[in-house]
Amino acid sequence: MNHNSDCLLEIQDLSVRRGNFSLEHINFSLQKNEIFSVIGKTGSGKTLLLEAVAGFYQPDQGKVLYGGIPMCEIPAFRRHIGYLYQDYSLFPHMTAFSNIAYGPKIQGVPKAEIQARVKEIAAQFEIGHILDQYPGTLSGGEQQRVALARALIMRPSLLLLDEPFSALDPVTKRNMYDMIQKIREDFCCSLIFVTHDFAEAERLADRIGVLIDGRLCGIVKSNELYSAEWDQAVQNFLGISEQNRRDCRDEGRTL
Amino acid sequence: MKRREHNIFQSACMLLTLLTILFIGGNIAVIAFRGIRSLPECLHQSETLFAIYLSIKSACISSILCFLLSIAVSYVLTKTRLFCREVIEILLELTMSLPNIVLGLSMLILFSSPLGKALKSAGFPVVFNSSGVVLAQLVVNLPFAVKLTSTAFRGVDQKLERVAGLLGATQGKCFLTILLPLCKNGLISAFILVWSRALGEFGATLMLVGVTRMKTETLPASIYLDVSTNNLGGALASAFILLLISAVSLGIANHLARANRKLSRYES
Repeated sequence: MNHNSDCLLEIQDLSVRRGNFSLEHINFSLQKNEIFSVIGKTGSGKTLLLEAVAGFYQPDQGKVLYGGIPMCEIPAFRRHIGYLYQDYSLFPHMTAFSNIAYGPKIQGVPKAEIQARVKEIAAQFEIGHILDQYPGTLSGGEQQRVALARALIMRPSLLLLDEPFSALDPVTKRNMYDMIQKIREDFCCSLIFVTHDFAEAERLADRIGVLIDGRLCGIVKSNELYSAEWDQAVQNFLGISEQNRRDCRDEGRTL
Repeated sequence: MKRREHNIFQSACMLLTLLTILFIGGNIAVIAFRGIRSLPECLHQSETLFAIYLSIKSACISSILCFLLSIAVSYVLTKTRLFCREVIEILLELTMSLPNIVLGLSMLILFSSPLGKALKSAGFPVVFNSSGVVLAQLVVNLPFAVKLTSTAFRGVDQKLERVAGLLGATQGKCFLTILLPLCKNGLISAFILVWSRALGEFGATLMLVGVTRMKTETLPASIYLDVSTNNLGGALASAFILLLISAVSLGIANHLARANRKLSRYES
């Protein structure tokens, strides 16, 4: 198989059905160190797409190739993927420290090294003061940083984020935007995040895919979201008229 | 107006609760008041002590076996892709609606077959033997235990296990570090309920091992024998002992569940 060395992930004609909903014929690839955003309405299949990419579901058709290998053939514990759910999914019976240390501990890393690594990453995410607290006592922003630290301590090649900023207040949100850029630089990982916030996607992603009713309608560079040629469904979703779109393209700006 | 409706509803519920307490409490009071009088005499009889010993021993063994099997079965039912899952679930729960005596009868037929004879010659007699008590309790409790443990497993958010998997946990480690600790309370309660049911099991035991003094005499069997011989005091004393054991076990279960809730701090 021909595999581009800069390509980390390749989704080829992916179709996944869950209940009455299905993702249909999804195609896109992700380069190393790229941030890719999927935008879509609630119920458009964003989470299902992310979970399918993570290999939680066997595709009904097509494949998810990760480093050239079908994702479902790689055991979950060998995928080197970080996944951040919308509700962060911290282990409620463990302290923030134990949550972050979970991965290294499972892999048999010596205790002293775990301590050092957790302290280092906690300092990076400014959560050193809450390490002995349980998730139930943490704010949304703190929980998110713990969840990110838990995922990134394993140095994943790919980080999947499911609406990571939807439950945060505006100030915390802005801090987290900066943190996402920092994560890419410091951890050298590719990111896919799904959101329904266009501005968020434009600001953080290199490329954006628009998902409508389980169909990926197109992928554009983030600065071309409003000026690209879209079909009527996407134009309606983005809230742009044909005239607006032409104006944006002519002026080389976003709405 | 709304407040008045609310008060009427609450009062009606309170009244029904009171009736329920009177209904259950009345039975407990009869056993306690009449049983306690014969208790000292009863506790000096070797038959009663044997019945207490056999009841507790068989209930402990059968509950542990039942629990281990139900954990494995529930894991397969709730966490793996299984062909005909619904059919298997119905099959496993089907016997819950059968009278225990029918289950005992089917066990009697099963273990009277060449299989039972082979087991007997291998040194594991079941029919009319105290080891049959354990099997009778097991067959009665297994569907119930599977239902309880499956419910506990289903209550754990699947996302947590997925995250653990991506962090490097194998299925076994995920089970030990995420699933088990998170349903600890449910599992403890399930174990105590199963144990209490095993302690009071009679129908299946009667059919499979009969009721023989100092051989297959559990506490319920002892009550049956005492009633048959018109020893009502002895029967109610044995019933009172069963009540005491149940009260202690339920108390321990509630205490453990409370302690675990505090420890894990699911809610802050």
